[in-house]
Parts: sequence; C-alpha cells; structure tokens
Amino acid sequence: MAVKAILHIVERDFRYFFRYKWWIAGMISMNLADLFIMAIVYNGMVNPTITEKYVDYFVFFAPGLTITALFAAAFMIGREINMEVRREISDYMLSLPIKRWELAFGRTLAGGLRGVVYMAPLLLTTLAITYIYTNVVPSALQLLAIILALLLISIGTSGLSIALAVSTKSFEKYITARGVVYYVLFFCSTVFYPMILIQEALPRPLVLIAQYNPLSCGADLSRAFLLGYPPFTPLMFLDITLFALVCALIATLAYMKVTQK
Amino acid sequence: MISLRKVWVVAERDMRMFLQYKFLLIMRGIWFIAQIALFGLVVNRMVSQNVQQTVGGDYFNFYAAGIIITMLYSTAVFIGYDIYEEADHGVIEYLLSVPVSRKELVIGRSIGGGLRSFMYVSPMMLFILYLIGISNPVQLLVAFASLFLFTFGTAGFSITLAVSIKSSDRFDISLGIIDALIVRLSTTLYPIAYMPSFYADIARFNPLTFAADLFRWGAGIESAFLTSPAIAVLGIVSFFSLFTFLGIFLHERRIEGGGWQ
Repeated sequence: MAVKAILHIVERDFRYFFRYKWWIAGMISMNLADLFIMAIVYNGMVNPTITEKYVDYFVFFAPGLTITALFAAAFMIGREINMEVRREISDYMLSLPIKRWELAFGRTLAGGLRGVVYMAPLLLTTLAITYIYTNVVPSALQLLAIILALLLISIGTSGLSIALAVSTKSFEKYITARGVVYYVLFFCSTVFYPMILIQEALPRPLVLIAQYNPLSCGADLSRAFLLGYPPFTPLMFLDITLFALVCALIATLAYMKVTQK
Repeated sequence: MISLRKVWVVAERDMRMFLQYKFLLIMRGIWFIAQIALFGLVVNRMVSQNVQQTVGGDYFNFYAAGIIITMLYSTAVFIGYDIYEEADHGVIEYLLSVPVSRKELVIGRSIGGGLRSFMYVSPMMLFILYLIGISNPVQLLVAFASLFLFTFGTAGFSITLAVSIKSSDRFDISLGIIDALIVRLSTTLYPIAYMPSFYADIARFNPLTFAADLFRWGAGIESAFLTSPAIAVLGIVSFFSLFTFLGIFLHERRIEGGGWQ
C-alpha cells in the first residue's frame, strides 16, 4: 500500500515537472551551451598543467555538467513545495487518502528521480565525450556505481531543497536561503575546477565545504571511473550516502511537520 | 509629437514596478557575489599566464567587468515579463486607455526598463570599478553613456520579443535559449582571441561584446583584443536604434486585439 501511494505522488510530481517546458528548454540550452561553448573556450585558456591528468578542461568539465544538470533539476521541487505551502495547496494534499510520511517521502523521492531523468541524456553525452577522448568504456559495475551515486545526490538535493522550502512561508526569505545554498554548493565544488585551485584561491572554511560537498564527491567519483583521476576512495560514496540519508530524513520530517500545522 | 513628460511618467512607473520583484533582486545579487567571490577568484588561477597578458594583466578584472554587463542584460530583459504579467491581469487594456500614445508608451518602457536595470546594477558596478581602478574618467563617461543606450536597447529587444510572440511559454523558452547563447557567445566571460573562429565570428557582432569591451575600455583595462571603442559605440547605437524602432513599430501594431497566451 505504501509503495503504491508513494508511486502516485511520484507520478504526480513527474507530470508537474514536464509542465515546465520553458524551464526544461532553458536549462537544456544552458547546460549544452556551458559544455559546447564555455568549456570549449576555456579549454584553450586553462593552464595545461592543471588539467593534464584529465586530458583537458573540456573532458574535465563533462562529468561536472551531469552534476550541475542533476542538481538544478532536483532542486526545483523545493520551489513548488514552497509555493504549495504559501497557497495552502498542501492542505488539499492532506485530504488525499495517503499517509503523511508517504506524502513527504514520495515528494523527496520524486524530486530525486526527476533530477535523474533530466540528467540521463547529459550522462550519455558525458560517456560519449569521455569515450571519444580516452577510449575508456566504464565496466558495468563502475557505471552502476556512477548511476547510484548520482541518484543519491539527486535525492539528497531534493531533500535539501524541500527542507529549505518548508522552513519559511516568506518567499523572499526562501529565495535568499535557496540562492545562498545553491550558489555555495555549486561554486564551492569541483564541478568547474579541480580541488587544488579551490585550495589556492578560497579561504579555509570554503575549502572544507568544497571537500565535503556531495557535488564535489559526485563529480570526482564520475571522473575517477571515466577518466581515472582523481583516484576513487570509498569516502566519496560515504559522503554522498550520508548526504542523501540525512537530507531525505530532514525533508520528510520537516514536510510532515509543516503539513500538521 | 512625443511628450517627454509622458514618456517619463511611463518610465517612472516601470522603475517603481521593479521594486516589487524582490526575489529577482535578491537572486541576482547573490548570483553576482557568487560569480565574483567564488567562480571569478578560482578561474583567475586556472587560466594560463598568456591569457592574463592578453586581457591586460589580470583575468579577474576582465571577468568582473563582463559579469557587470551580464547583470545589466539580464535585469533589462525582465521588462518583457512585466508585459506578460500585465496581459495576464488585464493591465494592458488599462494602459491603452490612458492619454499616452503608443510611441510614448513603448519609448517610456524601454527607458524605464533600461534605467531600472542601470540603477540596480550601479552599486555593483561602482564596486567593480573600485577594484579595477579608474584611469580615465572621460573614457568612463563615454562608456556609461553607451551602456545607458545598451540597456534601453536590451529593454526594447525584450519588448519586441514579447509583443511579437504573445505567448508567455514561448517567450520564456526563447529568452532562456537566447540568454544561454548570447552571454556565452560574447566576450563577457572570455576574450575573443581564445574563441574558436566559428564562435568568434558570432561574438564580434554580439551587443554584449560591444558593451563588455566598452566598459573595460572605460575602466582602463588595456588589451589589444578589445573591440575598438568607436566600433563598440557604433554597434550599441545600432542595437539601440534597431530595437527601439522595432519595439515602436511592433508595439503599435500588435499590442491591441488580445491574443495573449
């Protein structure tokens, strides 16, 4: 029964996701432009000694692109939930014959799955690029590890965004908190640049954020299996798993609490 | 005969309206800080010594100046969303009933859309100028005057697109795609010398390139690869004239008759 109810919620959120045609089109253009324009231009500008272990900057950035796409898509559910709480649509949701925890967990899961579905074509693009440049095809186990890590990051991101969304009814406060979290996680990560540069350029607290940032771990885990550098460590998986579990739990509890008021 | 007083009344109304979009102002502000204090600082260390020399000694200054132009562009295009908001709430019919001609209305909106963008970005622009240092105030004044025209032209471009399309979904998609391409295919983020020729050929005619290179010239950044100031001013004047004229022409013909989706 619980699975069926959760699947209903996931299905509903997927239908909503595909209503945002404009957003998806804009995001896809942005992601592809980042890869095929920005990364190609930076490729000629970057000091080659920095990216030589990754072939070049274009190949370095490709796995990062998958993470940016996944993160942006999974983060979107928070905005919908904040709007629902402000407009009291969440009251209607409570009238459905679904338990609160099923509703809360279903929404966190839906946000995560939406991220994975949106990211899938970009992951294929990344695989194609890394194959063309390195001739490396990841083994089935490595591919599974990458997909699992991305799914966990997506669920964690969805949870984080839901927790932020239900923490305030004020749209301005939500937007501010969301903006700060979004950009700090985004730019204090190894998605755009290797860790060595972050250590050189940013203060220690931001370096720590970058080191334990699940986006960094996700991007580096993909690079480890697709490009062979940086080396894979189980700590990457542990970091991502903890992020997913903690954020999903906080989001489920926070969503249940806000719908009880 | 166009009444300047009426044009100003329309512009003033649009400037007041802008304060309602707190979420946009907050998000753009956070985005600016993240771009400068995180991405800009790290990427500055990533680029090679040749690039630093090409852009006049310091890539960070070059990049920061480009981010200001990106901010001016992204806030000026927001006027198009205002038009859809008004169509949604029936305010367009009200605006058509006030004793202001169509020409005055569209010129006032272009000026209002541009001025509000300039006013919002001014503190950030002053901060960046403080970082870069001002070497020639006359050059800076010429650049400022041109940037005013650039923001009016951008607002005119957004109005032109909004009244041509008359569908908020399609407008969103178009603007999202244009945003993704126009920024990356310009010299806001990187110098033209490092772009592959097929991108550089487009970037040479991009109004954002004219604006970014002119602002850098005004701020005293010396690089052989900046667009010549005379060409940049000519490009901005042409961009402004084209989209103000097109805006007036299309606004007069398409604003009436409903059909807004």
